[in-house]
Amino acid sequence: MTMLATGKRPAPGGSTVSRPARSGASSVGRPGFAWALPATIFFALFALVPLAAVAVLSFTSWSGLGDPRFVGLENWETLIADPVMLKSLWLSLLFIVLGVVTQTPLSILLGVWAAGNQRNRAVLSAIYFVPLLLSSAAISVLWRALLDPNFGIPGQLSWLFGDGNLLGTQSGAIGVLIFVGMWQFTPFHTLIYQGAARGIPHVLYQAAEIDGAGRVRQFFSITLPQLRNTAITSIILMVVGGLTTFETVLILTNGGPGTDTTITAFYMYQEAFQSFDFGVGSAIALVLVVVATAISLVVVKVSGYDKMNSSLEGL
Amino acid sequence: MKTRPNYLAGVGSFLWLLVVAIPLYVMISGTFQTRAEFGDNGPLAFPTSFTLQNYVDAIASGFGRYFLNTVVVTVGVVAIVLLLVPPLSYAIVRSQSRAASFVFRFFLLGLAIPAQAVIVPVFYLINAVGLYDNLIGVILPTAAFALPICTLILSGTMRDITGELYEAMAMDGASPARAFFRLVLPLSKGGLSTIAVFSALQAWNGFLFPLILTQSENTRVVTLGLFNFQTQYGINIPGLLAAVTLSMVPVLLVYLFARRALVQGLMGAGGK
Amino acid sequence: MSNRTWMTRSLAGGTALILGMTLAGCSGGGGGASNRPENELRLAVYGDAGNTVEQAMVDKFNETSDVKIVLDTIPGADYQTKLQTIIDTDSAPDIFFNWGGGSIANFVDAGLLLPLDEFIEEDPQLKDAFLPSVFETAVIDDKAYGVPMRGTQPVMLFNNSEVLKKAGIDAPPATWDELLDAVEKLKAAGVTPIALGGGDRWPTQMWFQYVFDRVAGEDLFQAALDGDTSVWDSEESREALGKLRELIDAGAFGTNFDSVKFTDGGSPALLASGRAGFELMGSWEYATQQDSDPAFAEEVLGYSEFPAIEGGEGDPHNLAGNTNNFYSVHKETRYPEEAAEFLKLMYSDEFVQEQVAIGNLPTTTNTEKFLDKAADPEYAKYQFDLVQKAPHFQLSWDQAYPPEATVTIHTAVSQFFSGDIDEDGFIKAMQGL
Repeated sequence: MTMLATGKRPAPGGSTVSRPARSGASSVGRPGFAWALPATIFFALFALVPLAAVAVLSFTSWSGLGDPRFVGLENWETLIADPVMLKSLWLSLLFIVLGVVTQTPLSILLGVWAAGNQRNRAVLSAIYFVPLLLSSAAISVLWRALLDPNFGIPGQLSWLFGDGNLLGTQSGAIGVLIFVGMWQFTPFHTLIYQGAARGIPHVLYQAAEIDGAGRVRQFFSITLPQLRNTAITSIILMVVGGLTTFETVLILTNGGPGTDTTITAFYMYQEAFQSFDFGVGSAIALVLVVVATAISLVVVKVSGYDKMNSSLEGL
Repeated sequence: MKTRPNYLAGVGSFLWLLVVAIPLYVMISGTFQTRAEFGDNGPLAFPTSFTLQNYVDAIASGFGRYFLNTVVVTVGVVAIVLLLVPPLSYAIVRSQSRAASFVFRFFLLGLAIPAQAVIVPVFYLINAVGLYDNLIGVILPTAAFALPICTLILSGTMRDITGELYEAMAMDGASPARAFFRLVLPLSKGGLSTIAVFSALQAWNGFLFPLILTQSENTRVVTLGLFNFQTQYGINIPGLLAAVTLSMVPVLLVYLFARRALVQGLMGAGGK
Repeated sequence: MSNRTWMTRSLAGGTALILGMTLAGCSGGGGGASNRPENELRLAVYGDAGNTVEQAMVDKFNETSDVKIVLDTIPGADYQTKLQTIIDTDSAPDIFFNWGGGSIANFVDAGLLLPLDEFIEEDPQLKDAFLPSVFETAVIDDKAYGVPMRGTQPVMLFNNSEVLKKAGIDAPPATWDELLDAVEKLKAAGVTPIALGGGDRWPTQMWFQYVFDRVAGEDLFQAALDGDTSVWDSEESREALGKLRELIDAGAFGTNFDSVKFTDGGSPALLASGRAGFELMGSWEYATQQDSDPAFAEEVLGYSEFPAIEGGEGDPHNLAGNTNNFYSVHKETRYPEEAAEFLKLMYSDEFVQEQVAIGNLPTTTNTEKFLDKAADPEYAKYQFDLVQKAPHFQLSWDQAYPPEATVTIHTAVSQFFSGDIDEDGFIKAMQGL
């Protein structure tokens, strides 16, 4: 990423008259906080202010008609006693874990493989890239059509899919969502691993070869450790993405069968916009924010990601 | 460095090729078949006839308009991101004030606020300012939720600019603004293209904000068009596949003509 | 005056100012809390193939009126969601499509709708133009809130007559036992007896509506709707659930119905391709089949009433489905007179004729004279007769209840069919409404 190798020093301004440095500082002036202000206000307006409103709403009963009515902790009591809520949290966690464990090894292997310069690899990489060109909505609609048990792929490959009731059982529906997630997101993660693998200095491999290390050993002792920062970035993106998966669930399973794929993000939408209980919906939204924040904080702590001057450069 | 052919990796990559390519094959080949043929022969069969009717139908159902709307949203989002993020990242990287460091953590945590969580108040906010069912009303929140990740990416890039370079600028007595325009921006081109690609993809993919914040045909974006196509014309699978394929075309064009920028941009998200 | 909610006010107070200033340049004059636009009536309808007729009506109206109607076709899957989200904001439509009953009850409670009694009384032609009782579904607390539009959509048992013939079934089943018998014969013939788009959930619900009506009569559901949830635990209720379980256990729906959808064409294709014998579906099944294969719709597609259940209390001619679609008018509308003028078009000959031509069945007295011009006159007449002679027409459960009950109902019916919950589980779920 760094442009420094080719970056020239900016030419001094046309005039050779140099103004005296201010107050004797030899360093260029630091930008003030004002530089950060527009973006901060903008983000606060659409994220923080609404988040505060969500917090308030979670103590009200409201269907979107008339005015919200304060009900104290009622929504929270409902949620705590709600088996679907608890189930949705477990399902979200399951989705995240399955997403990470399927996509990470696959994209590391593909990424490292694609980082080679062989021509066939470039061609294949170009094909791998294609799912990235499709939106989540397009991908969900596509797979919904492909997975019809009678007229889709399962209907033609019944030796593999049996009666094709993929979306009618919990394991099948989860499997489909994980697989479609993998199909959709692996290309992206492959790409970032590919970029990172290309950046690993060749001397490391040359030294290892002199030591007689085989390809497998090189992979584990050089490639993987060098990809650590990239892996953290990639996994954070997977976690956040997995937690907020929405249109895939809406279009492919609608949370079903029953409530078997009703992950928290979808449950929030369902309670708020299908059952018109904005109070409970807001409470679920807060849970979602807390869980997402907690997971991020854990990842950040474990990885030392927040040390601004070191590993953040990995991003 | 010479490498021997790696057969295991070759086989593995071929298998993945099948997983990626078969659905794409079904998608493309289905669009050229009539409904009856697609239904009779099944999705995996090789097409025996050729028709462009499905594309005609898809376009006739309004996809041209949807494309235009999506392009407007995408351009708007990228513009806002490119306007707001560089000064923010600059302040985060260079400012020594506590406030800047606080802002950085604020955006780091902002990464964890899912758009779904705030969609109800955002709807009322957009509605209150009269932007419901207006593309601007989609652009604003979409851009806002692209800020955290773009800020992290760009700050990472800007951190690579060494202190010596700033010192050199200082010799000329450059103001922070001058340093920003003459030093920081030119040296952050890679990061800038990454955040442009990233926010463009987010806008292009956007579903929830348009779903809640628009309603009429005039403001419908491609993703919603696809969602509706499924429920409205559901029985017409080849037509649906044609719509999906069409939805890919603009990004495909970008990919073909600006492949390097797109791929490099996305790679940039992973850093080194 | 606009009816702005607490939410709007508090958010607007805190932030609209900033946003308003930021946007002043680019919002194209729409900034700030806008009132309803002048000389404009916004009309929201359920988006589907029928929109061509509505657009034609709007165009006709706009030709002579200074107040122009703007038609918004809101995608079907999203319609009720969208409507309730915007109905109490400045973005609310002036006139909107609905199903009467629960779909507007909340709006009436919140005082958002204009009672149309006066308008109906003042125009005797209007009242006479519709079949008696069709206003009923949109009458809430003794006030009428809707004028019928589009048409009635009863649910019928469709069949593939060729498949039935091959399996040795001579006539569509008239009784439950005949249905069970047909299921066995179809299984023996190697096809799925009944196609079901379980992935959509509402097709599953159609089975409950009919079996409950046939077994217990229309009163049970009405009692439940009126708040007496104990009826779900009644003997009749359990008997109805037992009948359904009997049918499911007989393998009537095959094993993969939860992966099949009506809305993506899965279940109608099963019927059309001869891989299933029956499908219980709304009258739009015909148009759906016709759209993909006109010859099949005309020659092979059969239809019949839902079978009678021996010993049941419900009249075997009772119907279930969408009794009617309605237009309701928002109380905040700027132009109630113009809205009323527009509603008068709903029984005009022109409107009725065009509706009939696209397969809809308006419940107007003049419908009958246009039946010959229907896409399939035989089918249109059959339907019209069914509706005319039906002692009771049960509005679909998910529309009779307010929309917030929909998810619960849909989840319960689909879990019962997949075996995730038993009779007790279903009763408990419905009692929780």
